[in-house]
Amino acid sequence: MSRRRIGDKGLSTLFLVTLLIVSAAGLMGLKLKLEGFSRAQVPESSIIYIPSGKSMRLTSFGYQSVLADMLYLWAIQYYSDTGIADRYRNLDRIFTAIAELDPHYEDPYLTGALIAAYEARDLDLAFKILGRGMEKNPGEWLFPFEAGHYALLFKKDYDLARKYFERAMNLPGAPVITRRLYADAAFRTLDLDAAWKTWLNVYQTAPDERIKKIASNHLYQVKAAIDTARITAAVRDFKGRFHRLPMNLGQLVKSGFLPELPRDLDGQDYLYDSQSGEVKSATIPWKR
Amino acid sequence: MRIRVIAFNTFKEAIRDRILYLLLFFAGTSILLSRILALLTVGDRVKIIKDVGLASISLFGALMAILIGTGLVYKEIDKKTIFTLMSKPLHRYEFVLGKFFGLVLTLFLMLAAMSLIFMALVFLHTWRFEPQLLLAIAFIFFEFVLITAAAILFSCFSTPILSALFSLSFYIIGHFSWSLETLLRKLRPGPTRVLGQALYTLIPDLENFNFKTEVVHGLPLPAGMLAYSLLYGTLYTLFILTLAVIIFRKRDFL
Amino acid sequence: MATVLKVDNVRKSFSLGLIPKKKEILKGISFEVAQGEIFGYLGPNGAGKTTTLKCVLGLIYPDAGTIELWGMPHLALKAKARVGFLPENPYFYDYLTGEEFLDFYGQLFSLSRTDRRERVAGLLKLVDMTRAAGLQLRKYSRGMLQRIGLAQALINNPSFVALDEPMGGLDPLGRKEFRDIIVRLRDEGKTVLLSSHILQDIEMICTRVAIVLEGRVVSQGALRDLISQKILFTEVEVAGLPESELHSFGDCLSASSGRTLLKIHREDLVDGALSHILSRRGKVLSLIPRTQTLEDLFVDIVKKE
Repeated sequence: MSRRRIGDKGLSTLFLVTLLIVSAAGLMGLKLKLEGFSRAQVPESSIIYIPSGKSMRLTSFGYQSVLADMLYLWAIQYYSDTGIADRYRNLDRIFTAIAELDPHYEDPYLTGALIAAYEARDLDLAFKILGRGMEKNPGEWLFPFEAGHYALLFKKDYDLARKYFERAMNLPGAPVITRRLYADAAFRTLDLDAAWKTWLNVYQTAPDERIKKIASNHLYQVKAAIDTARITAAVRDFKGRFHRLPMNLGQLVKSGFLPELPRDLDGQDYLYDSQSGEVKSATIPWKR
Repeated sequence: MRIRVIAFNTFKEAIRDRILYLLLFFAGTSILLSRILALLTVGDRVKIIKDVGLASISLFGALMAILIGTGLVYKEIDKKTIFTLMSKPLHRYEFVLGKFFGLVLTLFLMLAAMSLIFMALVFLHTWRFEPQLLLAIAFIFFEFVLITAAAILFSCFSTPILSALFSLSFYIIGHFSWSLETLLRKLRPGPTRVLGQALYTLIPDLENFNFKTEVVHGLPLPAGMLAYSLLYGTLYTLFILTLAVIIFRKRDFL
Repeated sequence: MATVLKVDNVRKSFSLGLIPKKKEILKGISFEVAQGEIFGYLGPNGAGKTTTLKCVLGLIYPDAGTIELWGMPHLALKAKARVGFLPENPYFYDYLTGEEFLDFYGQLFSLSRTDRRERVAGLLKLVDMTRAAGLQLRKYSRGMLQRIGLAQALINNPSFVALDEPMGGLDPLGRKEFRDIIVRLRDEGKTVLLSSHILQDIEMICTRVAIVLEGRVVSQGALRDLISQKILFTEVEVAGLPESELHSFGDCLSASSGRTLLKIHREDLVDGALSHILSRRGKVLSLIPRTQTLEDLFVDIVKKE
């Protein structure tokens, strides 16, 4: 009799275990299937939630620096998404918020200024961001150094550059080249070749990995600027001769418009759009 | 239909639990607070109201499911009401299923209440009735069903506090499973990676029920994806309930 | 006489504690309950009475042994449909009223609405809870909970009723009422298993008993057979005579305001004592022959183990 009882229970247990395995298999398969559906990301929608830094500071109960970190990480993702149109509109607000949350967090000042200068082409904003960095961190040479750099490279304002370099050269850790830049600034603006030399010097004399990385990013930017300018000129010449855009960059070399195909600092090829003739670098510099 | 009897009894018991109404109050406040939040923003105010409203419904509903669900089975065992109940001619699976459906019914009512407040607020701002919001809410409900099943599973074998923690972990893991995938891609191919991938497909992906973004921004929702999500939810619920029944069947009630 | 419940060599161990230590609670329980009797299941606290009952009702799964109800496996739903159970210290759903509570269990047995209403009303009357039927269970006193618990055990008009310490916490009037109800159930043809450690109640209404000690049935049989009918001693309460005169017949237990309690051990001395008292114009206030009680038997058995 007890054997029969156990038999009944055994049968139903078998049924349950089978059900368990079947449903597990099913759900695992469905999960993989569901990943195939690309979900729309609308990151630009998240911008409306960024309140002012001050209000965040008040409500973050002592977690300001973590909040600053998260906001900065988010900002990096946000600005690397080229699909978002008009994303520089809130550049000031975002990086101001990060600065208000954690004024001594240095990376955002540099990245913010970099984006402002190279991508948004908003020099005033770049100076504003770096200026705030200088104000909150007066002992850091990088901020006036970069500010001076942008002043020479983009704004072509010798006096402004000179003022920045003067400030930078007296701060601890400033590379030797700062003095020379200060001196040179009186005479000429910086061209890309000189910019390359400057940052190469910083890179080689860098005391730690962090400075090395910053210098490397700048080097990447400069090289990319030089290379894309060269390639774009070659494309223009090609069009002038053959009255059409080249199919790919290799054609430029074959037809002799370029001696060889330049590669970016990491050894990657540059991207070329054969419809529009646009040339750009594959990687986003400050995400390397 | 004994399951139905247990379900209604569970419903009657759950609906009188004060925690529900406390959470409902918070949810309502939060939804209405979105109105004030919207004033702070530059740009589209209605989007904030919709976003915060849906998020509140989702969050507070999940809390309700976890807090009530984890207490349900444990209370019966601890308070020994289970002795009189299980000595009746009742299969153990009927008890588990009854508790589950009773709680789902309770949550459905709570969800309806929160949705009413939400839709009313949206209507006041747009003077339009937007049915696609109901679609997002429907899938929030399916997420609740899954969380409820998990809460009941855990409360079949552990104390309310532990099972609340487990259920909360279930909820959090369910929303962050994509980060495990990112981590997995960084692993070198090998047995650890395969094991990791198997684990990854097994853990719940609650984002499959999250259509808030699409609905608020008016993006398209392919019917295939909705259907598969529904099927996924059903199978996962079935999986968890089967596990709960297996565990519950073996229990001795001391 | 048909056997209602047959328990055969049931064993159960539990592993409790952080480092699971196996504790054997039931070490081979065997007994039988016959149709139409009130069966007493007794033993000290911790002997395994409640564990046995929970095994019978499918709340605990025994490690070994068999349990049969009317010859069927005890877990069969057909068997369970004819059983009623009142657990020890019952606790019920706080927010239901007494009436809703009984109605709920009635629904589990698929009784129609009219049947349910009738049965619930009848049971409320039986346990004298009609007035409190509309009150929520959380407002019930302990005694009220026991009564409504008994009602719940009878909702399906069971043929076999198992009661685990049903009279704990009841006042003497309540206990009497419960005893009367149990006897009534027997008169209606039901079989009752009464588990208790209150020996007086068992002695009053049970026909057969099993005594459990440390997980084993150490004694089983009809009360009449187990307890010897031999008179152990006779207690006579005397007034109007000095103690000194009664010493020769037995022990004088107490002497206050002229009354003496005389304990006569030898039966042959009783007549002599009585004639002496009457001849000396004393008064016999009471005469009680004391036989072995269940308590005496119980104490003997426990001492032996």
